[in-house]
Amino acid sequence: MAELQIRGLRKAFGDTEVISNVDLTVKDGEFVVFVGPSGCGKSTLLRMIAGLETATAGNISIDGRDVSNADPSKRGIAMVFQTYALYPHMTVEENMGFGLEMSGVPSAERKRLVRKAAETLHLEPYLARKPRQLSGGQRQRVAIGRAIVRDPKIFLFDEPLSNLDAELRVRMRIEIAKLHSDLGATMIYVTHDQVEAMTLASRIVVLRDGRIEQVGTPMELYNDPDNRFVAGFIGSPKMNFVPVRVKGRTESGAVKLEVEALGLKDFAILPRNPSAPIEGSIFLGIRPEHFEPAGTAGGATVRLPVGAIEHLGGISYAYSDPGQETSLAAEIRGMPDLKAGSEVTLTVRPQTCLLFSQSGERL
Amino acid sequence: MRRSLASNILLAFSITFLVLLIGLPFWWVLSGSFKLPQEIIARVPTMFPHSFTLQHFGKLLSGSDYPVYMANSLIVAGLSTVITLVLAVPAAYAFFRLAFPGREMLYRAILLAYAFPSIVVLIPLFGMFARIGLIDTLAALVIINVTFALPFSIWMLRSFFASVPKEIEEAAVMDGAPPTVILRRIMIPLVTPGIASVGIFAFISAWTEYVFASVLIVSDARRTVPVGFSGIIGQYQIDWGLLLAGAGLAVLPVVILFALVGRWFVSGLTEGAVK
Repeated sequence: MAELQIRGLRKAFGDTEVISNVDLTVKDGEFVVFVGPSGCGKSTLLRMIAGLETATAGNISIDGRDVSNADPSKRGIAMVFQTYALYPHMTVEENMGFGLEMSGVPSAERKRLVRKAAETLHLEPYLARKPRQLSGGQRQRVAIGRAIVRDPKIFLFDEPLSNLDAELRVRMRIEIAKLHSDLGATMIYVTHDQVEAMTLASRIVVLRDGRIEQVGTPMELYNDPDNRFVAGFIGSPKMNFVPVRVKGRTESGAVKLEVEALGLKDFAILPRNPSAPIEGSIFLGIRPEHFEPAGTAGGATVRLPVGAIEHLGGISYAYSDPGQETSLAAEIRGMPDLKAGSEVTLTVRPQTCLLFSQSGERL
Repeated sequence: MRRSLASNILLAFSITFLVLLIGLPFWWVLSGSFKLPQEIIARVPTMFPHSFTLQHFGKLLSGSDYPVYMANSLIVAGLSTVITLVLAVPAAYAFFRLAFPGREMLYRAILLAYAFPSIVVLIPLFGMFARIGLIDTLAALVIINVTFALPFSIWMLRSFFASVPKEIEEAAVMDGAPPTVILRRIMIPLVTPGIASVGIFAFISAWTEYVFASVLIVSDARRTVPVGFSGIIGQYQIDWGLLLAGAGLAVLPVVILFALVGRWFVSGLTEGAVK
């Protein structure tokens, strides 16, 4: 049972503010992922929760108890580091038992708890080994095991998979998800990989420049982003942002647009807030996977020049003007013969499109 | 990596040259100490001894104060090494880990100890030691040796501490280990190569120290090997056999020390900790 509350948290190094006024509640048993580009403050925020960095202002409480000034080991949290940070001179068993030893757990009990955690992580054959005798995936498991044995209220993961190769990363990702459902513990996970964020999170916190841009479930962020940054960060390949001109409004409140890049003269899209004034030049957001086959009902037909094409087998990605800012990406299915230099006819449905202002807010 | 024949030959030649440069004098001392006196001073020197005798060692160990000097030197060098390590390890960790005002200044200031040639500080130190009654004691030499070995030892150990990944310490903090436990259980085991290097450095500087030992020690019974040994040479004119035997024995403790701590110079001790 552990709920984490962060109120008005700030962190500054001299004049540089790396975390500005963060408010966040992580509910018991939730898997929350902090995601954002490098330097957005996600790791600093995690380290502040861990107690490895002190806050300039604000407070952090766990289960209603203010731990802002508590010693890291007294917060009831365990952390898994990106670099594993195993003690190289100790065996796997000693590594996993060190925290218990520090908190005064008797040797026999320690042994039992370490065995139990090792069983969960399939580490029993390696208990007598030193970290250097283990593979990357095994080391990462030991690092996780070291966290599990302490039975923490909250697990913190700082980019735990970024040192692993692609295949192992997928396997460990699934293991971490399973671990979360088995333990039912509160977990906070930092990553810059939006696939990890989408697949693991119950809720995602998108950070930029030390601020929370949006908090929501993966699908909320995907379908209903608050701004252009979140829209562009979630989803791969990235959402297309097409400059458009507002021509007027329909009676239902939809915005009538002229989309020069797609050759659309009269494209009507219902904004998030139908009564808000919208005019001038704005951006239309279309995800590559929302270009649908020609003839899909309820959509406008567009012709996209194919400047470059990537065939991945089941799907292909077409790029209209590769290398240029204005290039559009489209996901195409069932056209394995499409060649660069040709043209493709597709459909765009207004309900899959989003509108953003010049400054990036969602309209 | 493939090297050409020419570069291989060059490397082999360089290594051979270095080995000869360093090894030959040792061989000369060692082989000479077992030669009969007439062979040592023979007009045509012999690379490999034609004679064998232990008379020089016998004379050195039973007919001179050499064993006493040796014991004094072992006490002085041993104690200096231990005290240097006991002080340098926590000091280096403090300089590395604790943030306190003036840390960088102090860190550089301690190296000032090497700014003055020992002969310059000899007279004031003699005065101070005379006042507190330390003249002619081995303790005086230990204090001097520790004082001069410490700054460099701290400086060197700090960079060894700095080479330990920060996350390992943070993991220990998260595990609830207090700083003293982190130092003892995590950091010290990870910097053993550094501790071994510093130990050898402290031992050798104490073992070979001459200037202070020659001035601060007055009585023959408290002399260390470098000073006492130079007396032996004068005492018997130049007895080459005795000189070579004494020099050979003087090297022995250092060689033994290297053999003992050599296995701690394991590179990549932190391998497997991160990545």
